[in-house]
Amino acid sequence: MIDAILFNDIIHGLFVLIMGTAALIITQRSLTSLFNIYAAQSMILAVMAIVMYIEYGTLNLLFIALLTIIVKTVFIPLFLHNVLKRIPVKRDLQFSFLSPASSILISAVLIFIVYFFFTGLAGDMLDDRPLLLGGVIGISLALMGMMIIFSRKKVITKSIGYLTMENGVLLFSLFMAEMPFIIEVLIVIDLLMIIVLAAVLAFGIDSSLEEFHKKLNRLGIWIED
Amino acid sequence: METLFLSGCSLLLLACVLPFIARITPGKTARRIALFVLLSGLACITTASLICFLSGAECIRLLYSLTPELVFDIHFDSLSSFFISLIGFVSFCTALYSFNYIEHGGTEKRRLVLTALLPLFILSMIMVVAADNMFGFLFFWEIMSISSFLLMMYDREKAETQKAGIFYFVMTQFGTLFLFIAFLLIYRYTNTFDIKATDALPQVVKSFAFIAIFIGFGTKAGIIPFHKWLPYAHSVAPSNVSALMSGVMLKVAIYGLCRFAFDVLQPELWWGFVLLAFGTVSALLGVIYALKEHDLKKLLAYHSIENIGIIVVGLGLYVIFNYYGLEIPANLSLVGALFHTLNHAVFKSLLFMTAGSVVQATGTRNIEKMGGLVKKMPVTAVLFLIGSCAISALPPLNGFASEIMIFQAYLESFELNNPVVEIVMVIGLAAFALMSALAAACFVKAFGVVFLAKPRSREAGKAREVSFGMLAGPAILALTCIVLGVFSFQIISGIGFDLPVPNMLPVSILLLLIILIFAGLLKLFHAPVRISETWGCGIAKQTPAMEYTATGFSEPIVTIFRLIFRTKKSNEKEYFDSAESITKRTEAKITTFKFFEERIYMPLAHLFMKIAAFISQKHNKDLETFMVYAFVTIVLLLVTAGFWL
Repeated sequence: MIDAILFNDIIHGLFVLIMGTAALIITQRSLTSLFNIYAAQSMILAVMAIVMYIEYGTLNLLFIALLTIIVKTVFIPLFLHNVLKRIPVKRDLQFSFLSPASSILISAVLIFIVYFFFTGLAGDMLDDRPLLLGGVIGISLALMGMMIIFSRKKVITKSIGYLTMENGVLLFSLFMAEMPFIIEVLIVIDLLMIIVLAAVLAFGIDSSLEEFHKKLNRLGIWIED
Repeated sequence: METLFLSGCSLLLLACVLPFIARITPGKTARRIALFVLLSGLACITTASLICFLSGAECIRLLYSLTPELVFDIHFDSLSSFFISLIGFVSFCTALYSFNYIEHGGTEKRRLVLTALLPLFILSMIMVVAADNMFGFLFFWEIMSISSFLLMMYDREKAETQKAGIFYFVMTQFGTLFLFIAFLLIYRYTNTFDIKATDALPQVVKSFAFIAIFIGFGTKAGIIPFHKWLPYAHSVAPSNVSALMSGVMLKVAIYGLCRFAFDVLQPELWWGFVLLAFGTVSALLGVIYALKEHDLKKLLAYHSIENIGIIVVGLGLYVIFNYYGLEIPANLSLVGALFHTLNHAVFKSLLFMTAGSVVQATGTRNIEKMGGLVKKMPVTAVLFLIGSCAISALPPLNGFASEIMIFQAYLESFELNNPVVEIVMVIGLAAFALMSALAAACFVKAFGVVFLAKPRSREAGKAREVSFGMLAGPAILALTCIVLGVFSFQIISGIGFDLPVPNMLPVSILLLLIILIFAGLLKLFHAPVRISETWGCGIAKQTPAMEYTATGFSEPIVTIFRLIFRTKKSNEKEYFDSAESITKRTEAKITTFKFFEERIYMPLAHLFMKIAAFISQKHNKDLETFMVYAFVTIVLLLVTAGFWL
């Protein structure tokens, strides 16, 4: 048990850090630092889970923190770095639909929208502000992950978008809904699958989905107008 | 009686699978056995429903219940047993005709499929009429649509068939959509899918339900402007199938209209006028379009539209008279409409089957290439003549017997004491009379060009009379035409209606006597027969090309109704010299404008094609675009959820 005000301050601070890392993920062009930022974001989440374990004492939270640290801050970034070494791509400079600056603006607006409508949805949870904020930022983070998926071109960056989405879901589940631990584990297995698939795609076809399209087009599998 | 009906149904089911399980025997034997089973099943069903109809008994039986709400059950009352007898009888004759017809054309496999689908189609129509639950009704309704579609696609390689198939399939689904709407509306207020009388619906909802029912059944029945599939589908289908579709399937739609508009919902006055207006337009336009048609089966299909129009007019009159409390004209028009339903089923399937024989013998549907068939196919010609007389409403045949009832109902409208309604009635009566005259003209053309004069093509010259099997079915129907006409008064009073219907028996006896006396006198005092060449305006050698053509016959009528046909006549000439005296090339054309197709159906289709192209262009995109769609959707969902909750 820690003091309630201190707990609130710590949590709020961690929220700010998460938002910062999210903004960096959206704008960062170098792939190496992208992976590092992702690792840092996952670490912050793990810290948050530990803080909450200290506050509430649920053992589940500790397991989640452990799983996050092992898989998301150590294993996945390492794997991605490994992949990076073997492909010629070092940076992702291509953006579709949104430029980094407009992505940042839109995500800011997004957080407001989510906050505004989520307060309506949350109802009686309004008085517990850190919980509510956790939910809001979790959803926004998931949506920002989605924005990364559609605004970045390279498969590797897309997979980072997916991982960010998952982080948002984790954040949401930490604060708003008690997710069973088994589901958490399953999600992590999903993540690993995604990473492996992304690696296969990245190796096989020069790391951009567009080339993948062209190949499929040639085979007649993918019908485009 | 229930047992008889159900065993009939199971025989039909057996006939569906028989062509496939009896693979060992040669295909022809398997088909014969299946058709025999079909015939016996239909005999059972017809007997059972006739007993039910004549005794006035009601019977309800649960067959299978999917959930307590969604059940398959059968319910016989006088209306449904009347329609089932009709379906059973006409299908019986068609099945008889199919024995030999099926053996011509197509591959062995397709013939087997045709034999298997035929009982399924008939069974589904019977079950639609027997259903006492909207779920069962729609279930069999869809089976009926799909099996008829498959039957229709017999010659699926032909572009014509494909076009007709798409037309039919889209239209039939369009109609079913409206039926779904109507049934769900009724369910919303009654909380039951059972088909039974209800007054739980508010006025506005009831009107909407009626409109949906009218469009739904109207599409299937071929009421103008929902008719366009009918001429296409009927002309490309095998003739036994078009006999069933035109003779029987359209009647199932009429049954649905009667059942849901008059029995489940209580009709209001304006429904009567809607039915009257659409019926009159269908009857008149149907026959006018039929007149310019030179495809024998399309011509018959347009006549189906006309006759459905007559039936719908009868139903409309019933609603109007019923509203004003005039019992006799109301009954007259309702019984007239239902009697005409029976009559149309009989003579239209007769005509389609004989037309099928003719088409098979000559290998073409174009009547301009026929002619002279009365000498080659005398029995078919006589049967076709009886059908033509019946459909043209010549006394003492059955077409006359039912149309006269509707005419009488029209004439009783002076009792209404409402000037507006009376004026509407007089206009309707005038249109009705015009329609009857034009129908007769049309069949003079059809019979004259197909059977009389000399063959217009080599194929027609080589035509031979069809086999006995293909004459037996139509012959039964022709006999029914005569019986239903001559004994119409006795039949209607036998069922229990005391209506002012003319007694045709003495008239027919008189007519027969006159004919006999005339024939006898002719035989006794005839002038010596002189056989010689017809005078051909001095031209030495006469060819069939000089005969009166169908185009020539209908030309005056097409000219009179050029407003409807939008006929355009063009005549272009090119000359060798400047004085325009030696012609190099001439081209004359008479084109008619297909109003409904070019102004309603095609623009609608183009609109949907545009929407579809837009959507498919939007959805054939890359991963990023899909993610944007998902993203936008989620944000929008969040916003709407935030607003609502």
